[in-house]
Amino acid sequence: MSLSAALLVLAVATLGTYFARSSLILLLADRTLPVGVERALTNVGPAVLAALTINLAVGSDGLGSIELAEGASILVASVVTVWKRSLIWTFVAGMATLWILSALT
Amino acid sequence: MTVTSADASDRTPIVDRQALADLLPVAVPAVPFGFVIGLAITESAMPAWVGWLTAPLVFAGAAQLAMITLAGSASVWAIITAVLVINTRHLMYSAALAPSFRQQPTWMRWFAPFLLVDQVFALASIQSHRSPLEFRRYYLTMAIALWLVWNTVVPLGMLIGPVVPEAWRLDYAPPIMFAGLTLFAVNKVPAGVAAIVGGFVSLMTVGLRDRLGIVVGAVVGVLAAALVEQAMANRATR
Repeated sequence: MSLSAALLVLAVATLGTYFARSSLILLLADRTLPVGVERALTNVGPAVLAALTINLAVGSDGLGSIELAEGASILVASVVTVWKRSLIWTFVAGMATLWILSALT
Repeated sequence: MTVTSADASDRTPIVDRQALADLLPVAVPAVPFGFVIGLAITESAMPAWVGWLTAPLVFAGAAQLAMITLAGSASVWAIITAVLVINTRHLMYSAALAPSFRQQPTWMRWFAPFLLVDQVFALASIQSHRSPLEFRRYYLTMAIALWLVWNTVVPLGMLIGPVVPEAWRLDYAPPIMFAGLTLFAVNKVPAGVAAIVGGFVSLMTVGLRDRLGIVVGAVVGVLAAALVEQAMANRATR
């Protein structure tokens, strides 16, 4: 990635993120959003995070390219997240699974 | 987590200790995530100093990680789209907190949103009982503290990253952390549908160029969740 492209991404991401955080505080402080819009916005986070997780976990070669240790690490990390509700445990459990199974296989 | 409502006075210290105490349990999980981002910066196709600037300027873990990991493998516009789509949830935070800012000075209305990340929203959203001055002290104390923590752990990850052996497989830490973040974001049935459909469609479209499968998956996931919301609303009115 070129420096100019990286700076463009950084600038747009900075301004876009600030816009998302500030726009409704600055512009709509005394109004409310339509219920349908509010509902849709609450579902954007889980949808995009799940899509990103799968895309990063699988890579561009598809499901067949994922290793047993990688798949198991995602699975164990997910179970531990639900169980412990802590990102620290998510990280520890996922990486420990990855290391152990990578060493064994 | 404790909620207090002490009276404001001229003797009130600048730092709100209750805000710091409340912040601790939600800031600790951000430490390994910030560390992973620091490591990812060292392995990214993005120039390291630009990657570092994402911490103080963008200040959004998931969006930063998307930028850093997609750099080099996706087009500029695909990266920007992914970052903006990820941060769309901040619109919701902004809408929800707007009433708490009605009596805040103009500078606060402009400055505070810069620090409005997930943890800050979670704590600020339950402080509406405070006076405007108390709310301002509380918000600024915990938000600035979290910003300082974040801007300490990300550079630490960058420093230690280059000496970490490849066998440690820290390249695979981002999807593990994203899996956890996804589950944290699922708090109701439609959100679960959004995640499942979004993930499945992303898997089916993983071969699309510039990682466009992420955006396609997210859009289809949100639409599926909207349909489920509508079906649930229709059932409730019968």
